[in-house]
Amino acid sequence: MKNIVRRIAGAQQLGIILIIVVLLVVAQAANPQALMPSNIVEILRSSALYFIGASAATLVLVGGGLDLSIGSVFAVGGVAAGIAMNAGVPWPLAILLALVVCGMLGLINASLITWVGVPPFIATLGMLFAASGIVIVVTGGTPRFGFPAAFTDLGQLNLFGIPLLVFYAVIIGVLAHVVLAHTVFGYNIRAFGGSAPAARANGIRAAQMNVSLYVISAVVAGLCGVLLAARVATADPGAGGTGFAFQVLAAVIIGGTSLFGGVGTIAGTALGALLFAVINNTLALTNTNPQWQNVATGVILVTAVAVDHLRRKRRFAVRSA
Amino acid sequence: MSTLQPTLELRGIKKTFGHVSALKGVDLAAYSGEVLAIVGDNGAGKSSLIRTISGVYRPDEGAILVEGEQQAFSNPAAARAAGIATVFQDLALIEVLDVATNMFIGQYPRRGPFVRRKAMEREARAFLDELGVSVASVRTEIGMLSGGQRQIVAIARAMRTGGQVVLLDEPTAALGVRETAQAADMIRTLRERGNAVIVVSHDMSLVFELADSIQVMRLGEVAGVRRRTDTTRDEIIGLITGAITGDRLTA
Repeated sequence: MKNIVRRIAGAQQLGIILIIVVLLVVAQAANPQALMPSNIVEILRSSALYFIGASAATLVLVGGGLDLSIGSVFAVGGVAAGIAMNAGVPWPLAILLALVVCGMLGLINASLITWVGVPPFIATLGMLFAASGIVIVVTGGTPRFGFPAAFTDLGQLNLFGIPLLVFYAVIIGVLAHVVLAHTVFGYNIRAFGGSAPAARANGIRAAQMNVSLYVISAVVAGLCGVLLAARVATADPGAGGTGFAFQVLAAVIIGGTSLFGGVGTIAGTALGALLFAVINNTLALTNTNPQWQNVATGVILVTAVAVDHLRRKRRFAVRSA
Repeated sequence: MSTLQPTLELRGIKKTFGHVSALKGVDLAAYSGEVLAIVGDNGAGKSSLIRTISGVYRPDEGAILVEGEQQAFSNPAAARAAGIATVFQDLALIEVLDVATNMFIGQYPRRGPFVRRKAMEREARAFLDELGVSVASVRTEIGMLSGGQRQIVAIARAMRTGGQVVLLDEPTAALGVRETAQAADMIRTLRERGNAVIVVSHDMSLVFELADSIQVMRLGEVAGVRRRTDTTRDEIIGLITGAITGDRLTA
């Protein structure tokens, strides 16, 4: 029992939990609807897609990589599925097709990084631009709609009063957690992100690792785009973008994942994603200018990284010397 | 000893980088239950030799034999699979991961796709206890250990992989007096276990304390191989600096 208390008190994410609780209390004080089940469900629903994207991004960052292109791959996913369905392709096949296209983009990222040696930041920044441009060119900038009801149901229906999107997020989150924390692949991700040369010296293949991570990242980003298209019954070529990419990365980093690789948990990422949804929600319920969200995001992001850095410096005295 | 088959044998290893010849036909023989020290000045080819044995480099020419069987290593994993465990100078440990994970990296006990965490911790603990070395907890992150403790974990990992050949690159370079003694004890343990141990070191006291034979490298060639009992520090240093002319034939 004492052990559990100590673990909670020592948890890296205690600060985020406290901020979330404070925000909810403030929101409740301002508006008694805040803690109603319907509002809690709304918070979960609005964080679901970010959390799904952030789960994959956690794997990439822990593996020592970075994928900025998720913003435009998001749009590619939705638009590709939309175009396919408009062309009469059955919706399950259309989704599969969209995810394959996104997976190919991830493969291009991984190839540039692994075999050409382009730094991940540059390779995926290039893909962020290129893929968003292609989506606009292909669609002429106009959204696609008129999808089968079975498809839009995927993003709109509830089960036991909870949106299906939340169930997807939980399933993908649990899956990502199990992979990262308990599988050989997850151990290899952490080893590779902790020190790529040391991992290689111990027989972990860089190429295999990069291909797996960037393909997973792209497929999951594409899936988020597909799910948004289902939810709003529209495939918007301007969906996702840098807003999605940076929001996702901010959630991952606030959740305690190191930008330098090797360290991070899906539980932390879940809290990071939840925090953003709670900030938004609290601003709305207290009738505050929603632009404060960006201010809060910036301040919390920098604070989280600064606190983590200071703690690390104290802990790894040898390392920071 | 010459009648025994070497555990690890190199024959005529050549390696060039552009127009620089790092290794110009190097032979080497390491025997079970013996410590072979490799010494030489900077640029003598020690690092290239280590990297060739551990599978980081592929030699341009020559043969590598383990237990008399010819091997070709395309990467460090292949060398390890052939029974060669290397303790690199930078130790190849991962600071953000714990002791147990580092000891099993790339070779985790598994059930399907899952790592058997408890079994891994138990085995790591048992192995360190057997060696009589003190590391607080196998859950401690490597980044929190001292240089000596890291060296111990790296050596323990090499011993755990069960290679017949254990290769140590400057195992005491970063260590204090007490830690050096501890590392030396572990190297003796390796020898007693019947491993063929190869130690690259600048530290002449360590070399003369531990080695059964000493191979001197100079300018990419073998300047000489001596039994420790048949040689003196002056002779070894003479071979290293070139003051004594090398005798390739003894190699």
